[in-house]
Amino acid sequence: MIEVHELTKRYGGAVAVDGLSFAVRPGRVTGFLGPNGAGKSTTMRVILGLDSPTSGWATVNGQPYQRLSRPLHQAGALLDAGAVHGGRTARDHLRAVAASNGIGARRVTEVLGLVGLDGVAGRRVRGFSLGMKQRLGIAAALLGDPPVLMFDEPVNGLDPEGIHWIRGLLKSLAAEGRTVFVSSHLMSEMALTAEHLIVIGRGQLVADAAIEEFVRQSSRSDVLVRSPAGGALAGLLSQQGGAVTAETDGGLAVTGLDAAVIGDLARAHGITLHELTPRHASLEEAFMELTQDSVDYRADLPADTRKAA
Amino acid sequence: MTTTAIVAVPARARDVLASEWIKFRSVRSTYLTLLLAAVAAVSIGYLVTHSDATHWSTMTAQARAAFDPVGDSFTGLGIAQLAFGALGVLAISSEYTTGLIRTTFASAPRRRAVIAGKAAVVGAVSLLAGELIAFATFFTGQQALSAQHLNVALAHPGALRGVLAAGFYLAVMAWVGLGLGTVIRHTAGAIIAMVGVVFLLPTIVGALPAPWNINVGKFTLNLAAQQTIAQHPHPGCFSAGPSFLIVAAYAAAAIAAAVFMITRRDA
Repeated sequence: MIEVHELTKRYGGAVAVDGLSFAVRPGRVTGFLGPNGAGKSTTMRVILGLDSPTSGWATVNGQPYQRLSRPLHQAGALLDAGAVHGGRTARDHLRAVAASNGIGARRVTEVLGLVGLDGVAGRRVRGFSLGMKQRLGIAAALLGDPPVLMFDEPVNGLDPEGIHWIRGLLKSLAAEGRTVFVSSHLMSEMALTAEHLIVIGRGQLVADAAIEEFVRQSSRSDVLVRSPAGGALAGLLSQQGGAVTAETDGGLAVTGLDAAVIGDLARAHGITLHELTPRHASLEEAFMELTQDSVDYRADLPADTRKAA
Repeated sequence: MTTTAIVAVPARARDVLASEWIKFRSVRSTYLTLLLAAVAAVSIGYLVTHSDATHWSTMTAQARAAFDPVGDSFTGLGIAQLAFGALGVLAISSEYTTGLIRTTFASAPRRRAVIAGKAAVVGAVSLLAGELIAFATFFTGQQALSAQHLNVALAHPGALRGVLAAGFYLAVMAWVGLGLGTVIRHTAGAIIAMVGVVFLLPTIVGALPAPWNINVGKFTLNLAAQQTIAQHPHPGCFSAGPSFLIVAAYAAAAIAAAVFMITRRDA
């Protein structure tokens, strides 16, 4: 269980996290979603006690992280896979991390096997691919067999096989009853792994909901209808309580009536249909819609908006 | 007694010490810097003492009176001190430049304990290595001087003190490096600062009008360290005892600054 309460973090004048509150519950993968620069990494660093909040607080298993003794048994985290000394071997890196929490060499060997690095344990990390470094970072997070796990953009830079492996791992960790908190800026990735989503933009909470609920809330689903008798059909559908919008290409976007009702109506009135397509906004679209007001660096804006002012 | 003391170390302190010890001994730079220091100290000391022995017959009476068989054999400390300083800098700056420091603080949130653990490991190894290098340097130098029977024995008054002080000074440099590395958090920046402390500062102070060059200079790390090693104290400087305290104060100040700063910034 991770709790964040009214968390604000400013760096100089810039607000990275702004009054953020949420809880991450055990037993499921919770996605932490937001555009680049939304404050995801900052929030994770504050949870781990690496950055101190300007105001508000964060707890892990009910305690501020800094108060945990031997914290690796409470929470494991992968923030940045590149954050290793390239001159150290994988095994030595893990042994140093393990020793700081009284964890022995046997567990190091175990986690090396768990992430599939046992064959390269004695090699210097400098020669590792990004995927191998991700695995090493995950091995470090698993050292204390903790009930809480946090991963910051764990699929970044991985090959398909590595991505597949991480998805499976995240799900199995959650299935064991652990709290699994995974950040990403890719909605599509979260759609495949997360059951619950916390979405932030510009450091503020945008949504905190189960994936399905999230889609239902934020997406406009409609039915696209094409007919040679479009005008007559539009009038008929409106009568039956549907809201009809003409699309630029001559199609009708209908909300409030489902495809089956529309099809039955058309048949009953002898109207030919050329297309009848239920449309659901994809998660990606839902995400874009949610965060469009809160994206920091928009491509369609001049780089320096102050110039315009 | 010793056993009791080890057992009495709290588990958390033992964890941090074990972790820092693994980190320290598992990177090549530790061995390279120590090897560089040993080679520089011994070889430069040999060259200088060998030259002393060669030129003894043509030396003036004044130069012969100022001759210091112990001090001359430690001429190479000027290079060895930089290697030890770099060892201390790298013990922490490599964690900042790679980002490993976040993993370190996430697994050991008590940052002051981490710094204390690093200071203990770096200090213990540096003191041991420094003393080994100091004795090796001394004996090599005396061997070179023995050609002209200019050598002194370890039992010679002041000789053992000088050798022990030379080794201690190297350990102090490692602590100063660790302190600077923690405060500056950047390898190159910290090494430049260290060079400033051991080379630039004495040069600037030495350029002050007399007697300020000595009145202030006797508090600089170099001059104080020289007094702890030299057989003939520099006129106007402190004797070996107080100079030793000044040298130790630099290490204490560096570590204190590190401990003070470590909790005051985001990792």
